Amino acid sequence: MSDEPRDATATAAADADTEVTGGFADRWASFRDREISTVLLTVVGVAVFPFLFNNYLDGYTQLATLMLIYGIFAVGFDILLGYTGLLSFGHAVFFGGAAYAAGIFSASVSSSPLLVLLAGTVFAVLLAWIVGFLSLRRGGIYFAILTLTFGQMSFYLAASPLAFLTNGENGFTSVDIGSLLGVIDIHGGVPFPLSMLVDNMLYVFVAVMTVLSVAMANRILHSPYGTVFRAIRENERRAEFVGLDVWRYKLMAFIISAAFAGIAGSLFAIEGNYVPLQSLYWTESGRIVIMTVLGGVGSLFGPLFGAGVYLYIENIVSGFETLGPFWHLILGVVFVVAVVLFPNGIWGGIDYVRDRVVGGDDE
Amino acid sequence: MTVLKTEQLTKQFGGLTAVDEVDMAIEQGEGVSLIGPNGAGKSTFINLVTRRLEPSYGEIAFQGDSIIGMDPHEVVQRGMSKSFQTASIFPELTVKENATIAALAAEHGSFRFNFFRNQNSYPAVDELANEVLESVGLYGERENEAASLDYGNKRRLELGIALAAEPDMLLMDEPTAGMSPDETKSTVKLIKRVKEELDLTFLLVEHDMEIVFDISDRIVVLNRGSVIAEGTPAEVQNDPAVQEAYLGGVEE
Repeated sequence: MSDEPRDATATAAADADTEVTGGFADRWASFRDREISTVLLTVVGVAVFPFLFNNYLDGYTQLATLMLIYGIFAVGFDILLGYTGLLSFGHAVFFGGAAYAAGIFSASVSSSPLLVLLAGTVFAVLLAWIVGFLSLRRGGIYFAILTLTFGQMSFYLAASPLAFLTNGENGFTSVDIGSLLGVIDIHGGVPFPLSMLVDNMLYVFVAVMTVLSVAMANRILHSPYGTVFRAIRENERRAEFVGLDVWRYKLMAFIISAAFAGIAGSLFAIEGNYVPLQSLYWTESGRIVIMTVLGGVGSLFGPLFGAGVYLYIENIVSGFETLGPFWHLILGVVFVVAVVLFPNGIWGGIDYVRDRVVGGDDE
Repeated sequence: MTVLKTEQLTKQFGGLTAVDEVDMAIEQGEGVSLIGPNGAGKSTFINLVTRRLEPSYGEIAFQGDSIIGMDPHEVVQRGMSKSFQTASIFPELTVKENATIAALAAEHGSFRFNFFRNQNSYPAVDELANEVLESVGLYGERENEAASLDYGNKRRLELGIALAAEPDMLLMDEPTAGMSPDETKSTVKLIKRVKEELDLTFLLVEHDMEIVFDISDRIVVLNRGSVIAEGTPAEVQNDPAVQEAYLGGVEE
């Protein structure tokens, strides 16, 4: 996979090659390998996205914002599913849990968006520690079922026993988000130069968090953890017999992915000023699996595309006059076609096409 | 110095005693082979020593300390490495990454909080991975996906992964199983060379008697879970109990 983290010599070799040959493909490869270039690409991507989306794809900024939020969720989820090879079917508990934690924090402690975001994320991390500690005792399908069980438990807990906190089936409506750093109205407009690209501050806030999240994920995947995670995915027993504490690394993968779910969940509460009970339901866990697989497991950017395409079909295609009522079917067909043609998802398809065009810079 | 010592080591599966009160001691620098007919308990013994199986009773000491109750990765961290019966590698990773994983475990221990550090900032890991690949002759293949190697090279990589852990003792479970005669020859040469270069202590389980007699300092013969003979290759070869076990008591 060309977008997977490379090791030291690969990068060094690519750099060295560039000096000698200076071919376009080599230059592109070495550019792409640098951390800063990943961040820059993301910045450019999120900056031009709403403009293109709103003008050419029937989109609107609120949906673009939501796409980025789910994109963050999916990027983190892929660290667990695509890189470590663990299928969790209960990640709604971290997304929805963080959304509730953020909402309740905003109503009763502080309405500062950054603190709200921090509170939701910390909550998701602590929760993942417990859920991961218990679920990771078992592998494969048992792990998936255990996480599903924890997800559904949290749904029913929030629905009634904890209704005094969560407002039960009506969802949490008292989210109170103040201004960013005391001056910027997060639900307001943006000043001139930025306003050429995007029309509201919320998108800017979420976009900045997206860039930070992608940068963090990129850093993690280029750290020793990235290699260890993939080793566990490939051959868990062997990883243990080279002397790695596989269990603790798996727990870390689980917690890291939940941290991203926590960032996304908190942003979701801030964005909507509301936390629906639905955000804890098992279908939410299923959606993130589909988004990640659709976009491309084991790639950094793939899940962002998966989240975008999923939400596009759910919100835009569903509004088309003739096709609209069949949007679930369309989503299914897109999923099957993407996965059959490109086992590595949409990103795998993009990679394939690009390698054809640029001339196979994939080693 | 005794590297590995077992006392009364026993494993029962229900009514079957797979390993029956085995006492064994392996000294520093010694190359020991464990042989015996099928079902003699060789693999069970290896699995007990690597902590994949819990013994029914008995004691295992590695470098003087008991390892009963430890996890497999802890035993590896103490310096006991294992190469598997099949080519147990990380197929979708590059050859270099395969070695890097083992080098990471050797340099960093079983776990570290370093998920925000770039892997390039650990040159020692990189160096060790390169060294290991050179010693098993796969440095030229380092950028290739491990799955694309032929079987013999996969087994060499397997051995490389085990060596990257910088073991004080290496357990090898049929390292030449499934290899062509040429591959077998080069693997035996590799094992001999590595043993000399690293002063490696090893315990080898092997069916091929030619290899066993070629590379062992000492041979231990298991039959029905018990040690029936041990000694130098020549001694074992002429032992009547061994001939009995292998030939099933057929009169010659």
